[in-house]
Amino acid sequence: MRLFKQFILRHLRNEKLRSLATILGIALGIAVVIAIRMTNDSSLRGFEKAIETVSGRTSLEITGAGTGLDELQLNQLDWLRDYGQVSPVIEGDAEVRLASGRTEAIRVLGVDVLRDTKFRDYRILEFAEKRRDPRPQEFLELLLDPQSLIITEKFASRHALKVGDRLKVTFADKADEYNIRGLLRDEGPARAMDGNFALMDIAAAQLAFNRLGRLDRVEILLNDRSRIDAAESEVSKKLPEGLRVNRPARRGSQVEKMLEAFHFNLSALSYIALLVGLFLIYNTVSISVITRREEIGTLRAIGVTRGKILNLFLSEAAALSTIGISLGLILGRFLAYGAVRLTSTTVNALYIASAAEPPPLNLEYVLIAFAVGLPLSLFAAAVPAIEAARVAPTAAMRGSDRLESRYRLRSRYLIIPLLLLALAWWFSKQGPVAGLPIFGYAAALSIVFGLAFLVPAMLFVLVKIGNRLLFRLFRIEGRLANANLAGSIPRVSISVAALSVSLSMMVAIAVMIGSFRETVVYWVGQTLKADLYMRPATRNNVATDAVFSSEVERIVQSHPSVEAADRFRNFDLVYGDSLVTLGTGEFEKQLKHGKLIFKTPADGPAAMRRTIGVDAVIVSESFAIKHQKSVGEEISLRTPKGEARFLVSAVYYDYSSDRGIIVMDRGTFIRWFGEPQSTSLTVYLRQGADADAVREDLLKQLGERYQVLIYTNSSIRQEVLRIFDSTFSITYALEVIAIFVAILGVATPLLTLILERKREISMLRLIGADRRQIRKMVVIEAGLMGAVSQSLGLIVGLLLSFVLIYVINVQSFGWTIQFHLPLGFLVQSTILILTATALSGIYPARRASQLMAAEQVTEE
Amino acid sequence: MILVVDNVIKTYVGGESPVEAVRGVSMELRQGEMVAIMGPSGCGKSTLLHLCGAMDRPTSGDLLIEGVNINKLNDDQLTRLRRERIGFVFQFFNLLPTLSVGENIALPLLLDGGSESEAARRASELAERVGLSHRLRHYPQQISGGEMQRAAIARSVIHKPALLIADDPTGNLDSDNGEKVLKLLGELNREIGITILLATHSAETAAAAGRVIHMRDGKVERVVVRGALQPSEESATHAIV
Repeated sequence: MRLFKQFILRHLRNEKLRSLATILGIALGIAVVIAIRMTNDSSLRGFEKAIETVSGRTSLEITGAGTGLDELQLNQLDWLRDYGQVSPVIEGDAEVRLASGRTEAIRVLGVDVLRDTKFRDYRILEFAEKRRDPRPQEFLELLLDPQSLIITEKFASRHALKVGDRLKVTFADKADEYNIRGLLRDEGPARAMDGNFALMDIAAAQLAFNRLGRLDRVEILLNDRSRIDAAESEVSKKLPEGLRVNRPARRGSQVEKMLEAFHFNLSALSYIALLVGLFLIYNTVSISVITRREEIGTLRAIGVTRGKILNLFLSEAAALSTIGISLGLILGRFLAYGAVRLTSTTVNALYIASAAEPPPLNLEYVLIAFAVGLPLSLFAAAVPAIEAARVAPTAAMRGSDRLESRYRLRSRYLIIPLLLLALAWWFSKQGPVAGLPIFGYAAALSIVFGLAFLVPAMLFVLVKIGNRLLFRLFRIEGRLANANLAGSIPRVSISVAALSVSLSMMVAIAVMIGSFRETVVYWVGQTLKADLYMRPATRNNVATDAVFSSEVERIVQSHPSVEAADRFRNFDLVYGDSLVTLGTGEFEKQLKHGKLIFKTPADGPAAMRRTIGVDAVIVSESFAIKHQKSVGEEISLRTPKGEARFLVSAVYYDYSSDRGIIVMDRGTFIRWFGEPQSTSLTVYLRQGADADAVREDLLKQLGERYQVLIYTNSSIRQEVLRIFDSTFSITYALEVIAIFVAILGVATPLLTLILERKREISMLRLIGADRRQIRKMVVIEAGLMGAVSQSLGLIVGLLLSFVLIYVINVQSFGWTIQFHLPLGFLVQSTILILTATALSGIYPARRASQLMAAEQVTEE
Repeated sequence: MILVVDNVIKTYVGGESPVEAVRGVSMELRQGEMVAIMGPSGCGKSTLLHLCGAMDRPTSGDLLIEGVNINKLNDDQLTRLRRERIGFVFQFFNLLPTLSVGENIALPLLLDGGSESEAARRASELAERVGLSHRLRHYPQQISGGEMQRAAIARSVIHKPALLIADDPTGNLDSDNGEKVLKLLGELNREIGITILLATHSAETAAAAGRVIHMRDGKVERVVVRGALQPSEESATHAIV
């Protein structure tokens, strides 16, 4: 311990800047990993917690196929009472318009209050003050009027609401005022969605959500909970066709599966920042070992064992990373706020309504951070630490065993990188593992490490080429910078590799996103042919509960300028063990007015036409890839009439959701699922009609009562790209952090190199180099490191982008992306990186220009 | 007069107490002279050499190089003075390991903004003059100590300086190579008339100089002129050589 204090801690104190940069690098790496983990957890846990708190004591729940179940079916379920209490439920999201004009989403539960009090704990404030629960009769009286609801005390105090106030709420497409009849204390279901919860009578909720006669599920509270397994299997056997029994938590696991690929990809990205942080640890310990060889020699000479030397340097890494990880945890919590904000648009738009706040920093995150950060840091430090332990005492003290600083290219140095690249090729040919692109990431990692091993050789070639060119560009300072780089290839390779890895990921992601965006732009341009697109105001892309009132459909269809309105309905359906979207539209209208782009067969529209009137469907590409179904095969779907088989007639391109979409003609749907209510309307106008004017007119006719979003063709295109861009904003944010860490990785070794080169710089000053020339030389050197890194980053980034586009994306999301090079972005980022790295050389350059101790050159 | 040192004192502040490394030294060097400074370690000879090479400024007293008082020059002007009028040779050669021998020799001209072709031509001429024309493309670590020192000498004169400062140029060489280097310095002194001020521990090296200034404790102890049997009678603390 004493040796650690004297030899390592004092050194770290003396090398403040390098220690700080390393700590900061690790901290940022860990912070990003933790922030992403928290973000992923927040979207999932928010959802799962809502399920858990809302379901209360419910043991089992019965759900229908797709759009819930008919309430008349309750009569056939009388026998359920043998198992326990039964309660029907309506659940959905509504939008509250606050006095400030702002809107907030609120989870609404519609229950039969007489039955439901046994399922959930409702502590109504008024009665709680009387130290008792409301009697069912009192409860019923509170919600007798269909325009009444009970909100939570938390929501009320947040928005200064009280019992008796009126609240503007939009359910599906209908806005109305509701009376607040009571306040729930912060217990039980009132805790769902952080208090954004309201309770209604089931009949009122059916009316409000346009679900008259429908139920979302029937909940069962078993008399004997210990028999849950037996009860579940018995009930399952007795249920009529089309109904299914589940435990409430299963809904959470389905969502978890749906989000898995999205979360996996985010996590993988977050590890890049950590990877760069680890390069920094390697760098710091290497420099520490290299610069202290004589000291190590002395320690070995006076009897310190090899094991102790190894431990000393590993503990240096451990000390730095422990501080870095601790800082990273705190920083991660703050970053998580930003990350939640950046991802929530995507998660809300494409998957589920998610929580707005990251979870608190608990022991689990602390353990994860240390479990990930510490071993990896020690692993990164192991190579230089082993080198330190191998130092021969006498040779090191004489300085005669110094590493040869001049790198010579030998063909055997190319074996490992080439092997890694070959391995990457093999990995990229493998399929997904449990739906995740594990081999895709292994391929990316192999390319990255292949690059890292290739860096010294590439530097060698580049400095050879650079000698004359740099003299032409920057005169003698350019040549000196190039020579310095040539002379320190083994040293700077790690920094250049770290920066290159980071930049290559940025390039790869930019190419992937650029290609994806171009593909989506093309797809949108080809497929969005209608004049107007409508949906209920409260409905996001996947909230299946918001449907149009029939009045709205009537108003639209009877408008004189409307030639056709394709009524579309979609909802979640369990397929296998995952959620897919089942959609239904009017194929005749779609074929006449719209345009889908088909992947297979060649004549897609004809295949689509053939599905009309028969049990056949068309599926999105992501469905076909994820579930490995192609044209001609059959899929089995759960319908209210039981399992049914449908022929896959065509596969079409779709980039609106990665969960997989199955679409059938309205006629087929009605046969199996019953009359659908529409969730969106695609409106085609008569020739010469002005879309904006019709939109205004429709909005006027719908008035205040109906809250409907109407997009014109151009605005829906903008909306698609807005969601697209916000989806990838987190990707860029992660990359910026990784690059920042990497730039730290350029500045610190450069400073160390400068300090080590004191003698040469002093000599240059003595023979006539002025301060400006020294500064220029160091800044060019830093810029050169940036330029080399960016060049390598561009080459490897393109390789990685192929893996991202053709392997990872296809396996994660089932999307075909057309390759497109975002030249503008690449040029812009190259300029930015060169500037940033050159700027990172300013401080080392200043330090260098202040050097000129004559002693440096006259003493050895 | 190439160099005039007038009652120069150099004090280093730092540490616990100030250290007076040079205590009132005066001397003069005429065009084409070769003068050696001798003395034990810590006598102040290196400090005096640094001052004469415009690497540092005196704490008090005047130091004139070709009539220019270095006390009156700022850092940039001092740099320019060194770049244009002074050459340096050190005990440890101080070639840049990252540049080839040819590039090292050409460096002062290029730092002064000279053209690459002219610098390369001059470097090649000088390399031939010092017997290194076959080593131009080699790197310092690939040649011997004697060759490195000859390369350093070539570098020190490529820009035709008025004054060559040589700090123990043979101190790190075996006697054979040391002799060659001294011979080379002597030839340069005679043939191109360059003024040389060298510091050394070695009496043999000092013997190559026309005059030898012996220093002790920061002061000039005595001055020996080659050919003279007795040391100069002039005041040791105010010697004008």
